[in-house]
Amino acid sequence: MSVGRFVPYVLKQVTRHRGRSALTVAGVAIAMFLFTAVQAMNRGVTVATQERAGETTLVVYRADRYCPATSELPQDYQSRIERIEGVVSAIPVKVVVSNCRTSLDVVTFRGVPKEAFLAERGGAMELVAGSAEDWKRRTDAALVGETLATRRGLRPGMTFDAAGITAYVAGVIRSDNPQDQNVAYTALEFVQLAGRDRLGIVTQFNVTVEDPSMLESVAAEIDGTFKTAQEPTATFTEKSFIGRIADDIIELVGFARWLGIGCLAAVLALVANAIVLSVQSRIGEHAVLQTLGYSSRLVALLIVGEGLVLSLAGGVLGALAAYVVARLGSFALAVEGVSIPIEASLGVIATGLVVCGTIGVLGGLVPAWQASRREIAACFRAA
Amino acid sequence: MALIECRGLTREYKKGDNIIRPLDGLDLDVERGEFVALMGPSGSGKTTLLNLVAGIDSPTRGELTVDGVALGSLSRNKLAAWRAQHVGYVFQLYNLVPVLTAYENVELPLLLHALSRRERHGRVMTALQRVGIADRHDHYPRQLSGGQEQRVAIARAVVTDPTILVGDEPTGDLDASAAEAVMALLGELHDDLGKTIIMVTHDPKTAACAERTLHLEKGRLVREAGAMEGAAV
Ligand SMILES: Nc1ncnc2c1ncn2[C@@H]1O[C@H](COP(=O)(O)OP(=O)(O)O)[C@@H](O)[C@H]1O
Ligand SMILES: [Mg+2]
Repeated sequence: MSVGRFVPYVLKQVTRHRGRSALTVAGVAIAMFLFTAVQAMNRGVTVATQERAGETTLVVYRADRYCPATSELPQDYQSRIERIEGVVSAIPVKVVVSNCRTSLDVVTFRGVPKEAFLAERGGAMELVAGSAEDWKRRTDAALVGETLATRRGLRPGMTFDAAGITAYVAGVIRSDNPQDQNVAYTALEFVQLAGRDRLGIVTQFNVTVEDPSMLESVAAEIDGTFKTAQEPTATFTEKSFIGRIADDIIELVGFARWLGIGCLAAVLALVANAIVLSVQSRIGEHAVLQTLGYSSRLVALLIVGEGLVLSLAGGVLGALAAYVVARLGSFALAVEGVSIPIEASLGVIATGLVVCGTIGVLGGLVPAWQASRREIAACFRAA
Repeated sequence: MALIECRGLTREYKKGDNIIRPLDGLDLDVERGEFVALMGPSGSGKTTLLNLVAGIDSPTRGELTVDGVALGSLSRNKLAAWRAQHVGYVFQLYNLVPVLTAYENVELPLLLHALSRRERHGRVMTALQRVGIADRHDHYPRQLSGGQEQRVAIARAVVTDPTILVGDEPTGDLDASAAEAVMALLGELHDDLGKTIIMVTHDPKTAACAERTLHLEKGRLVREAGAMEGAAV
């Protein structure tokens, strides 16, 4: 006999004790919303900072500096870097941020030499709106990352102000690199001139090397080259550069993991509490089921099933809400010109639901076991 | 061989140092198709006996066989499966599941049987019709009167066509006319379907519907009488 035919019974028990179930589901949903949000942040840290095989990008920064406002390198380092063995290209980048502190809504401008940038990085990006020609033609044009565009409601043809710069949106780009997703690429001179008159000064160089195995040696060679120069350099792989700049955020997100675990504990307590109360108020009912011939194991299974349904219902609601909010809000934690995206991926949601379902079962297990152990006749006397 | 055979049937409870013995070495035979009423003062062991016969409690000592099966030797799970096949239990307070409709309540025991949805539907409707409440099949217990609830409970008890039907004061909570209707219904089940029925009652008039009345006192049978004699006392 399949247990499937008892599913309607379990669902009726949940849906027809409406008030009680709604409160439990709401509680689970809130906890799962928070849990999913924390997971999405953790996922974002992983995506932004974990090295992937095949990556070939180095970031050359001013040694001992941690902020784009203070990292100043002569633009003419470019030719010296490009002469180093194994370097494919070095793109000078001037970074200007609207807010130097950690924030969910930082606008980051990256001034780049347009032709070189398109030649080197164009292939890794997809233009989802607007035109690249427009970007090349206009001096104040920006290619805006999708996350930033969604968050600020930017569409091609609009202009926007941030960090004292007024830029024209020529196009919206999509990229696998979370950094691209949250910046506005403009002409190098445009950004250099926008603030103070600092032509010839850039924040960093983004260097592409021939082969991932050369990252370390090339980085060492670059730093060696400028060791005694007026502006010495510190060179990192792109991901470890982000890890270094955003270490505060990463630490906070790491701590938030504990909040996530707290959310799970809350779900467990909620579901267990709901099931304990529901089982206690239905001792007689479960004794009736057993009198009808339901085995104690089946009764336990039905009780566990109720916990599972409650927690899954709450889990789906909470995770979906988190997903929708993260998607619509297009949040990214940004600091000093680097971004940690909040990645509410379907994988994060699926993990959340599996965890939630498991906790639902755990929450029902003890009360189910207790209920199935009771002596039937004694239950009727108590009721 | 009688359908139900009790030999030296004893049920004891330990309360601290005291031993409570609601059933004390009871001997009893009930034949297939009999309708037996069980009377006796409160606390005399009527419910205890009924629960043992229905397989929801186990004897401390003595033998109890129903239809050749020694209930004391069955495991907890086997006993549950045995109940599903052989027992219909009607309670004083109906004990319907409040969040299920009349139909769904009657369907509950059938879920344990290898029947299709259609077959279940047929059986549930037949049972509801037999107890005269088919038109209220989609009503919840709170929407029914006590008498109607008890009829649904009887439908639930007989829908699996059990070997024995037991009732613990099934009319105890009903007004006179509802009680009469329920007794008439049990009488029909006995007369038309040949059901073996054991029913606890406090009311001699109700007991008079049975063929035989047993009197329990302090866990022992004190006197056995035919229905006519019982009513005459
Ligand atoms: N689980 C139990 N623990 C202790 N005493 C019990 C238990 N069940 C029944 N009894 C006692 O057994 C006696 C008989 O009970 P019962 O069979 O319910 O009587 P009746 O149904 O005739 O009123 C009562 O004194 C009752 O208190
Ligand atoms: Mg009793």
